[in-house]
Amino acid sequence: MVIDVQGLTKRYGARVAVDDVGFTVTEGEIFGILGVNGAGKTTTVECLQGLRRPESGRMRVLGLDPRTAGAQLRTRVGSQLQASALPDRLRVDEAVLLFGNGDRRSADRLLETWHLARLRRSSFASLSGGQRQRLFIALALLNEPQVVFFDELTQGLDPLARGEVWDAIRDVRARGTTVVLVTHFMDEAEALCDRVMVMRGGRVVDAGTPADLIDRHARSTTVTFTPPVSFDPTTLAAMPGVDVVERDGEQIRAIGSNQLVAPVCAAVLGDNHIGPPDLRVHHPDLEDALIALVDDTTAEPPSEAGARRSREGAS
Amino acid sequence: MRSLWRLAASEMKLLMREPMVLTFVFAFPVLTVLVLGGVFDDNDPNFEGALPSDYYVAAYIAVVIAAIGLVMLPVHLASYRERGVLRRFDVSRYPRWALPAAWILVAGVVAIVSIAILLVTGRVTYGLPEPHNVLGVVVGVLLGAFTFMSIGILLGMALPSARSAQGLGMLLFFPFFLLGGAGPPPDAMGDPMSSIANVVPLTHVVRSIQEPWLDLGNPTGHLIVLAALALLATAGWVTLTVRPGG
Repeated sequence: MVIDVQGLTKRYGARVAVDDVGFTVTEGEIFGILGVNGAGKTTTVECLQGLRRPESGRMRVLGLDPRTAGAQLRTRVGSQLQASALPDRLRVDEAVLLFGNGDRRSADRLLETWHLARLRRSSFASLSGGQRQRLFIALALLNEPQVVFFDELTQGLDPLARGEVWDAIRDVRARGTTVVLVTHFMDEAEALCDRVMVMRGGRVVDAGTPADLIDRHARSTTVTFTPPVSFDPTTLAAMPGVDVVERDGEQIRAIGSNQLVAPVCAAVLGDNHIGPPDLRVHHPDLEDALIALVDDTTAEPPSEAGARRSREGAS
Repeated sequence: MRSLWRLAASEMKLLMREPMVLTFVFAFPVLTVLVLGGVFDDNDPNFEGALPSDYYVAAYIAVVIAAIGLVMLPVHLASYRERGVLRRFDVSRYPRWALPAAWILVAGVVAIVSIAILLVTGRVTYGLPEPHNVLGVVVGVLLGAFTFMSIGILLGMALPSARSAQGLGMLLFFPFFLLGGAGPPPDAMGDPMSSIANVVPLTHVVRSIQEPWLDLGNPTGHLIVLAALALLATAGWVTLTVRPGG
């Protein structure tokens, strides 16, 4: 077990930011902490990094308590923080030497991997958002850490760079490093994470593989198309596997069980017409599961959920 | 210890790339020497029998120390925290006390260079008196500098932003500067101002340097006050750094 957390609770004044959170991360996996803004993801990770002191709970990172063994852990744990910076006039190569253990060869390799080699002499202030992000990732991976925390890994990166970063993170894991990923990008979690947990209002609402969560919380596939003039929605609604047929302006939206609804729509439409050119099939993904989980208020007493929402609205 | 030297070297290099900070710290004492040394008549009786230009030498040194401790250090450290640079260091392999400690070293180097510049300026313009007790002067300068560096680190660690550090730093610096010995001599002030001047920390720095230099008395009392302040400020910033944030 690389990380073991039980009953973690952290308050800011009267507000409970992390409320009785527990989870484990095993060696060599990519573990995702998901949720909307203000769910308590970053605070949870900051407690594990030793940046914040929780009110209660048990935490172990590589068998050590971050509250008492912070100095020991910092040599074995890498961190990319959501909000951090370097001195404006510090150059890229200087940053790598300052935070590294003096091994120039591994530092150079890291700069190559993260496309920073040609920016070696550039000051931090002159880097673009994406370049800074890549530098922070490189700094987190310096000194071959056993665990790396990434908080909003691909913030500020363009789609091409995001894909490259994902590949590089898979390489990091392939070399045996355990990765904890805090993100609100569900496509990122689905692409990278072996297991995820979803937080809402400081609590863990569900955990499992991305496929488990999709299966549990997002069961329906949605098909949308512009129907031919003679189309009769009641025929489609009566078909097996179709739960709902609704009209949205010009378009028809059919929602049904994952395996059935798409072929059924195709069959109904293809019967005596050529299928509509704008037919789209949306299979459920982690984002649907997250939205279902975050909207679902049945998991807790309604009064408490209402109180929490109003607190969040006020802050 | 090696990491402390590495951090100090890195921070020193970064400071050399900040021309505005350096200009303030180096040009300010030179201007002070040129202006203060020349405004009083040589026969003015308010200087305990010393020449005004001699009397102000200790004040020039104290002004440099105050500028570094009350303005440069707090603004720098507070801006590091405001921008998230301290957080980046917090997750690195450097112990939490290392960055403030490195800054005391950097500020010490800046103070030495700055004091050297002002002594040279003083010598070529108004002439410098021969120190009566060189060791006493060195002790006064070192303790005064260490006290104000510690206060500066404490302010920088406690204040939330560079702007608030700048505001409070200036608010402390000017009364310290004017009442603490770089302004009119205490004998020329009215009674209320003179009693305020006696409790301003910078006064103790000035007296700790001035008394052994010009043989005006025994500075032990001033040195004790400075040592107590240094101890309090150091205890304050160490407490703030070893404890993880909220």
